[in-house]
Amino acid sequence: MTLEIDHVTKRFGATVALDGLTFDVPAGEVFGFLGANGAGKTTTMRICLGIVAPDSGVIRWKGQAVGDLPRRTWGYLPEERGLYPRMTVLDQLVYYASLYGRPVERARREALTWLSRFRIPDYADRRAEELSKGNQQKVQFIAAILHDPEVLLMDEPFTGLDPINLVLLREAFMELRDRGRTLIFSTHQLEAAEAMCESVAIVDRGRLVAGGRLRDLKRASGRQWIRLALDGAVPAPGWLGELPGVDQVRRSGAGTELELAADAQPPAILSAILARGATVSEFAVVEPSLEALFIELVGRPAEDEIGVLASAIATAGPSPTSAAADGPA
Amino acid sequence: MARHDPLLPNAAIIARREYRDRIRGPLFLASTVVLMALALIVAMAPIAIRYFDRQTVTRLAIVSSDPELAERAVGVADSLLNVPPDGADLETWKKPFVITISDPDSAGRDLARGQIYGILGVERLPSRQLDVVFRTSGPPDGVRSQLVGFAAIAMGVLDWTAGLPPDSQLGAFQTPAFRVEPINTATDNGRALDPQETASRAFLGIVFVVLLFMTVVIYGMWVAAGVAAEKSSRVMELMISAASPRQMLTGKVVGIGAAGLTQYLAIVLPALVVLAFQSRIAEAILGPDWAAGAPIVGLTPVLLLGYGIFFLLGFTLFALIYAAMGSFVSRPDDLQTLSLPLSLLAVLGYLSAIGALSGGGGTWTRIASFLPPFSPFVMLARMMVAAVQPWEVALSIGLLVAAIAAAAVVASRMYAAGVLLYGTRPGLRAFLAAARRAG
Repeated sequence: MTLEIDHVTKRFGATVALDGLTFDVPAGEVFGFLGANGAGKTTTMRICLGIVAPDSGVIRWKGQAVGDLPRRTWGYLPEERGLYPRMTVLDQLVYYASLYGRPVERARREALTWLSRFRIPDYADRRAEELSKGNQQKVQFIAAILHDPEVLLMDEPFTGLDPINLVLLREAFMELRDRGRTLIFSTHQLEAAEAMCESVAIVDRGRLVAGGRLRDLKRASGRQWIRLALDGAVPAPGWLGELPGVDQVRRSGAGTELELAADAQPPAILSAILARGATVSEFAVVEPSLEALFIELVGRPAEDEIGVLASAIATAGPSPTSAAADGPA
Repeated sequence: MARHDPLLPNAAIIARREYRDRIRGPLFLASTVVLMALALIVAMAPIAIRYFDRQTVTRLAIVSSDPELAERAVGVADSLLNVPPDGADLETWKKPFVITISDPDSAGRDLARGQIYGILGVERLPSRQLDVVFRTSGPPDGVRSQLVGFAAIAMGVLDWTAGLPPDSQLGAFQTPAFRVEPINTATDNGRALDPQETASRAFLGIVFVVLLFMTVVIYGMWVAAGVAAEKSSRVMELMISAASPRQMLTGKVVGIGAAGLTQYLAIVLPALVVLAFQSRIAEAILGPDWAAGAPIVGLTPVLLLGYGIFFLLGFTLFALIYAAMGSFVSRPDDLQTLSLPLSLLAVLGYLSAIGALSGGGGTWTRIASFLPPFSPFVMLARMMVAAVQPWEVALSIGLLVAAIAAAAVVASRMYAAGVLLYGTRPGLRAFLAAARRAG
């Protein structure tokens, strides 16, 4: 009962977008699909949707090749925000739901319910062009889920949302998960991913660099981190990095995180800090954050612009899709 | 990985949205009203042409130093130029040419003021040969000038017979009756159209071809612009997960085509009403002689049906290719560049049709009337002014349908490749590369 990405390879001209990518997504979970720009996340999602055909490999959902599944299996929230500018919000939502086979009246009713949940019921009869970016994002999310798909693929779903809307979206995620739906999303906001995901896959240049339960990945990293807060010492004093056994110092919220060397002992570190005369208000040995894990595995932050794949697609163009192979109009 | 999505119901849902989006636009309403008025003018055009023909009198002045020669010239010119149409009542019929004798100075002044169309100078040379000069403000090779040329020859023959001895066996000169019987002209209920009727048809044909060209290119560009707008606004990102390229392409072409058809019907229906009452309107305006003596040939149901069929097929063919082109641009601004070759093809079809309507073209006209994408324009033009066999129309339509089927296969695959293509500059090279991949 999983989504299996099985040795999928995809090239655009000379550029390899996916290089034998393999991982599983457990059904009924919120899954983080992480990687820097150009890592192959969007291409993988497009292959899932049948928009792009892989050069080799296969993607299965519950044991069935995705090309054999009906479109309504999937919901898709693309990274780019796009709605028909002159069409009203409600008409737009009903239109997309109809394309997925949802009866019009039911789609209308459910669309109004979701608009209320996202606190924009008054926008139902407004044109999309009149909405703010964040509200357009919420409408687009509703468009992706209105037909109640089994799997929801989302490319950067949190972009453009303020903290309140972010919470609303997270609540929606959790509700859909509790209803047995599988949610897969890519994001550069690793804190958000850490808060919501039970499992993740981290990809780099089309290859999987780590995947599985987030908890297991953190444990498997073998690295220790200390969360530290010193009274009256913001920012953290430079001497922390010079302590024996400390490899790296990072700011984290109001405090500081120390990455320890493999053989370092936390009590010895605490003693060394106290010996410097500092007043410690928090000292905790913690697992590495997802962000720390990501940087350790990929070697650069998630939001690094690579642009290699984007330019490759522009030069080579996508190959004809599987959907296009269904004959003449 | 192949997913075989049925065409329906998604193509119909997309077509409905496209249709509503078009017909609710203010531009659609405005253009429909303008074209409706134009169609009414066209429907009335044959009557108007006859009305002005009836009102038009061409004045000629005969100038000669020999009064007898001048009188003879008036008689010959009158018998050649003023031939009443079949069935006309000679008591009420007005001569189209008024021919009078004048002196050189007065005639010159009248010609300069535009009060007369020309001066026919007839003099006898010392060699006894007649010297005929026609000074005119009209074109030197116009129909009237040619008729005057015939009159000059007739004057020469008459002058020669007048100089024969009284016991000559030759009878008096009779001006020959002259008429043209073209074998390749359009018919109306089996009767070949006369030159005036053919000219009327040619005028209507030009209007039809212009309308066809405008509608095919404009509606085709609507399709391309719609696709390009979906790409630039990124709506395509959502659409491609909800519907297959084949469904999207079909829905767009059908929806916009239906909007075009709606406009076509809105234009044609008032014109049909005029057509239904054409005889009565003509009788009221022109009087019974002109209306009955020379049947008005304008819009007929067959021609309107022909226009409808060639509009639908022509639009479908062009729209499929326009949609494929629209899928290759990221910004609507780039569309003009990429669609230029296709627009030029439409222009070539249009010019060929205009050539056919003016009686030119020959072999190319015949070939082009069967050859997509020119055939919608050229076959329609041939139907207006030339004798076209039913099998020729059927063959032209059949080839057009076959071309549409082939274009649909290629266009849907190119569309599928193009809709995801962002960031690249549109060009013929990218287009042909995608066409090769699609093939």
